[in-house]
Amino acid sequence: MRYVKISKANTYKFLERLKAKGTLYAPTKISEKFYDFREVNDVKAVQFDYNRTIRPPRRFFYPARETMFTFDTTKVELYENVPEDETIILFGVHSCDIVGLRIVDSEFIDENPDPYYKKRRESGIIIGLSCLPDEYCFCNVRRVDFVDAGFDLFFHELPDGFLVRVGTVTGHKLIDPNMDIFGEITQEDVDYMTAFNEKRGEMFPIQGNWDDLRYFLELRRDHPMYARESEKCLGCGNCTLTCPTCRCYDVKDIPSIDGMTGERVRVWDSCQFRSHGLVAGPHNFRPTKESRFENRYMCKNAYNKDTTTAYCVGCGRCTYFCPADINFRKNLMEIGGYKEAV
Amino acid sequence: MVDTGKSVYDTHKCRLLRKYDLTDMETLFLFRFEDPVVAQDWRFKPGQFVEVSLLGLGEVPISICSSARRMGFFELCIRNAGRVTSAIHKLTPGSLVGVRGPYGNGFPMDQFHGRDLLCVAAGLGMAPLRSVFLYAIDNRWQFGNITIINTAKYGPELLFEKELEAMKDIATAENIAIVQSVTRDPDYPGLHGRATEHMEKANVDPDNCAVAMCGPPAMYRGMFDYLVEKGYDPRYIFVTLERRMKCGVGKCGHCNIGTATSWKYVCKDGPVFDYYAITSIPGLI
Amino acid sequence: MAIIEECGDICRPKIGVYALTSCYGCQLKLATVQKIMEIVQAVEIESFYMISSASRMGSDVDVAFVEGSVSTEKDLEELKEIREHSRILVALGACAVNGGVQSWAEGDKDYKKLYAEVYGEGKITMQGRQATPVSDHVKVDYFLPGCPPEEDELMYFISAFLFGTFPEPKDYPVCAECRLAGNSCILIEKGEPCLGPVTTAGCKARCLSHNVPCIGCRGPVPHGTAWFDSLAKLFKEKGFDRDYIRDRMKIFGAHDENLEPMLDKIFGGSK
Repeated sequence: MRYVKISKANTYKFLERLKAKGTLYAPTKISEKFYDFREVNDVKAVQFDYNRTIRPPRRFFYPARETMFTFDTTKVELYENVPEDETIILFGVHSCDIVGLRIVDSEFIDENPDPYYKKRRESGIIIGLSCLPDEYCFCNVRRVDFVDAGFDLFFHELPDGFLVRVGTVTGHKLIDPNMDIFGEITQEDVDYMTAFNEKRGEMFPIQGNWDDLRYFLELRRDHPMYARESEKCLGCGNCTLTCPTCRCYDVKDIPSIDGMTGERVRVWDSCQFRSHGLVAGPHNFRPTKESRFENRYMCKNAYNKDTTTAYCVGCGRCTYFCPADINFRKNLMEIGGYKEAV
Repeated sequence: MVDTGKSVYDTHKCRLLRKYDLTDMETLFLFRFEDPVVAQDWRFKPGQFVEVSLLGLGEVPISICSSARRMGFFELCIRNAGRVTSAIHKLTPGSLVGVRGPYGNGFPMDQFHGRDLLCVAAGLGMAPLRSVFLYAIDNRWQFGNITIINTAKYGPELLFEKELEAMKDIATAENIAIVQSVTRDPDYPGLHGRATEHMEKANVDPDNCAVAMCGPPAMYRGMFDYLVEKGYDPRYIFVTLERRMKCGVGKCGHCNIGTATSWKYVCKDGPVFDYYAITSIPGLI
Repeated sequence: MAIIEECGDICRPKIGVYALTSCYGCQLKLATVQKIMEIVQAVEIESFYMISSASRMGSDVDVAFVEGSVSTEKDLEELKEIREHSRILVALGACAVNGGVQSWAEGDKDYKKLYAEVYGEGKITMQGRQATPVSDHVKVDYFLPGCPPEEDELMYFISAFLFGTFPEPKDYPVCAECRLAGNSCILIEKGEPCLGPVTTAGCKARCLSHNVPCIGCRGPVPHGTAWFDSLAKLFKEKGFDRDYIRDRMKIFGAHDENLEPMLDKIFGGSK
């Protein structure tokens, strides 16, 4: 792997140059406590020290609402609405979110590829950024706190800039023409990275790994946690809509007024909504708030064979952005019998 | 996965040729592919389903109920139960619809070869099992004795009742037992009772029999207990499940079931599951 | 696909737009949608006082849009007449769907006293009633909530209706749309008494996008999935008292049967 170094000042220059290569999105402060990936106009507004964005990065490749087809109802013809040629550049993606995207890839590209997602994703550029955990983070026990795939470049914090790992050919192509602002790394930088990672590892609120959690979830299906916690739940779906790996969608046809044409749109759905498990009849496979609540705990802790991790990457969004203060990590620790780090 | 250059949502145009009313709620629809190339190449396995599109209204997943040996045509038995299905019921022959698929794993018919076959259906469950049954008849030499048990709550709800009755003559000569029974209809002139109550009429050998079932979860539980007790091999007991399959290709998440150790898409990992999956994965039935 | 089954492509469906006690804002919204000219070409307008002087009550229509709540005896008579003369009846807007703000104080004050206090004696001849949603009195085939309803939902309903179906109603809260809109959450961040989690989605979190907490104008999420109890508990923890929470939830939710029992669950006892 190739490693280079860039100063903080030059990083702004680099971001400026990236804007010429596509549409650049980066973490932006949107309110007192919240951040979101937003299109970068002023590179000085890019946040290098943020915990998590309110909307997950998947939305750039899998929009919350998109027209899949337009159609002609009389000829019964569907016209695929292929996404425009556009390079989406995401800067400042944490390791949890990078794995999150790979999990969406595993479902939307690796098997029965979804043409819309695939096209956007394959022309996208992902630039990672190191981070320090807060009390909501548990990517370490999900084994995704350090990534070795899924990024073109990865920026690791140094005292005066970043050590950059180059992950792909696209990454090399971003570095090579810009060697006026990148430089070679030193032994000191490597030592800093080691110390940074060590400090970071100790900061997580829980240690170890949760590989056995899915078995405990199955063995303790009747745990009182579900009734107790789902009682607090508002059923608003924020946990799923902010999740970097949730993928559920609903599809609807919208005809034109004359009924001759129309569009088939897909919109993000949530398993926390009543209609998610509803079929004609009507019969609901997840009729209660508790059954919908439990559904998410099962789904997020299932095993993804492509990333060899759980579907949950431990980013903490579902807890941080839960209006009802339901703590996913602590509830799972109760099921798994894990203890907080001292 | 072979990249065919076709989108996973590729939809084929199909023309409705005929409608046959089966019950008050269910009608059988015969469709033909418009594109001769698709008509020639399109194959499916018994137990698979298609997504039928009425542009402007939406899509519904429907099990294919015709014989897989019949090319270019296929039949769907559709219950008038929702927004899209009620509109399909209003279609007249000659109308065009969009069809995607086939989707799902289907019954592993290859594994059934060389064995006796027992099909047990309740209510609308007869639709996918008709495809299994017709497959067995069309490939008669691949199977030993065959029994089909078709049940419903009330006589007028028995799907394909007349068709099965009409087959009875030749069936006997072909070692095929056809049993039709109702559970809640005292006025029905034929047999009464659940499938388990008519198993003595089955002509199959438990030691060498494949079982395909489709019906409500309660029926599966009852049949499982019965079959295992009588010595049927659990490896050859299969059931098909119904869920809300919106995309059909393991994406939209509506049909997800199971637990964290065994998280399944009914549309992709199913809808056909074997005995061990059903009994070991909580939440499947 | 035929627009109206019985007449194939020959006839256009007849539309009536009627107002009970209301501010006329919903029909103003309907009259000013961008594609109004396309709509009037696709349908025949039997009654829509705001845009046609040829309007009249009592003619047969395929679809009747009714705005306003039933707040007088006359409203009730008119509503029953409209129902008799329409194939499909659509409750248009917050008043028709949920009773509107005029049912805010339902059950809290004696209606006769209140009426006398407001209107005094003599001058008003109209027989008043406690304001109620139209579905309390007649069968409603479709609900278009909102104060006023959203243009995209009006258009989706009209095009779907002309196509021979109804859009699937939304059964999730504004809160979800607020997240998709990329807003910060003022309930979490500032402890604002936002009703987004219990209010039917569709407005794309318009108020929240301007940092104004939701007051629930689109009414409680249907099918008993407005979790007033969970939200009240949360508000309580944030320092709001029962009266404040109840008042706020009742503005557009007074007719939700779950509201009072769910508040009782959190605060104990009946008020």
